[in-house]
Amino acid sequence: MGVNTKAIKRRIKSVGNTKKITKAMEMISAVKMRKAVANVLATRGYANLAWAMLVDVAKKTNAALHPILTKRPIKKVAVIFITSNRGLSGGFTSRLLQETNDYIIEEKKKTGTETDIILLGKRGRKIFSYFKHPIAAEFEKIDITTKMEEILPMARMIIAEYMNGKYDKVAVAYTDFVSAIKQIPRVKQILPLEKEDELLGKIGEEKEEKKYNFEFKFEPKPAEVLSMLLPRLVEMQIYQTILESDASEHSARMMAMRNASDAAEDMIKELNYNFNKARQAGITQEISEIVGGVAALG
Amino acid sequence: MKIKFKIITPEREIFSEEAEQITMMTRDGEITILPGHIPLITVLQPGELRYKKDGEEKFLAISGGFAEMRPDNTLIILADTAEYAEHIDIERAEAARERAEKAMKEARNVEGIDYAALQAQLERAVNRVKIAKKYRKLPPMVNR
Repeated sequence: MGVNTKAIKRRIKSVGNTKKITKAMEMISAVKMRKAVANVLATRGYANLAWAMLVDVAKKTNAALHPILTKRPIKKVAVIFITSNRGLSGGFTSRLLQETNDYIIEEKKKTGTETDIILLGKRGRKIFSYFKHPIAAEFEKIDITTKMEEILPMARMIIAEYMNGKYDKVAVAYTDFVSAIKQIPRVKQILPLEKEDELLGKIGEEKEEKKYNFEFKFEPKPAEVLSMLLPRLVEMQIYQTILESDASEHSARMMAMRNASDAAEDMIKELNYNFNKARQAGITQEISEIVGGVAALG
Repeated sequence: MKIKFKIITPEREIFSEEAEQITMMTRDGEITILPGHIPLITVLQPGELRYKKDGEEKFLAISGGFAEMRPDNTLIILADTAEYAEHIDIERAEAARERAEKAMKEARNVEGIDYAALQAQLERAVNRVKIAKKYRKLPPMVNR
């Protein structure tokens, strides 16, 4: 057997090892995905209703009653950029990166100032290294977020800075989880409160035109209710986007790893075929050599 | 006329149907919502929530949250947690209350503990026990 078969054999082994790794990662991601998806689906109904309530309140309430409701001319924008800590998840980070970059450039045209980026997840640093957008703050991201307390410091900081006027607009860049094979990168504006069309996960809450002329009654006093209600509901929105991102990340990684395993499998098949061909060719050659030698002797 | 009524928590949707009346505990005391109530937003205290559906009354333990009465006769309750009284396990609720009480006592001697959070926790635990017990004492749920 020639050198050729040896080289092929080595490659088969190395591809096989890679396949083992991707397979293992696929299974780990599948477990994480299941958890993350259960989380995101459980809270989505609540988050969407909370968002609807926020929008209702924002439309029907005097903005002077609470600083979250104030709208200022937009001079400074902040984007909360939610990605993952690890790569190997297909186009997960790069798609969101692209989307966010577009958004930031768009905002820069309007406001003339650089958008501040608040980072969640190490992979997001690429927004600086690729596009040179400065990062204002970075927060540690947990692999699977399961409690609201885990994101409160970040959420509270953002809300406080919106209220004290540092930012005039806050958006979240995240990946919306639609299904295990479909995730959509999005940039959603959360402050000031105005858009009502963006429900998370796009599940069908029926949309009816609300044209009633009414005002909410608050019990106890409006200021008191609003100061409890509004920050909490905004925090909830940020929390939900993080859950969406988690579910998307693990789904994307699982799919990427599944594709990698399949590709490795195909490659091994191909290599085996080549190996057998080379082996057969070697044997044939050897026999013809022997036969040729005998003939020469005879 | 009935109220379209929905209770939802961050974990799941508890109830989504129509009801004739809903009574809940707000910061200012108990209020009852009947069909056609004006638009209202209020903050809920840990306490009891009961609603009547087809003449039958149901009890829940709520650990705080928000309620929104919309102009289209829909009441939405965003609760932190909500549990049907008959689903509360009294022994475990008691145990949780004792734990919360203990944590409160210990917290007195330690600095830097979120006292308000502990107090809220205790309040919730006490509320659950209370509602679970109250419900047990009542006769079965027929035409009361």
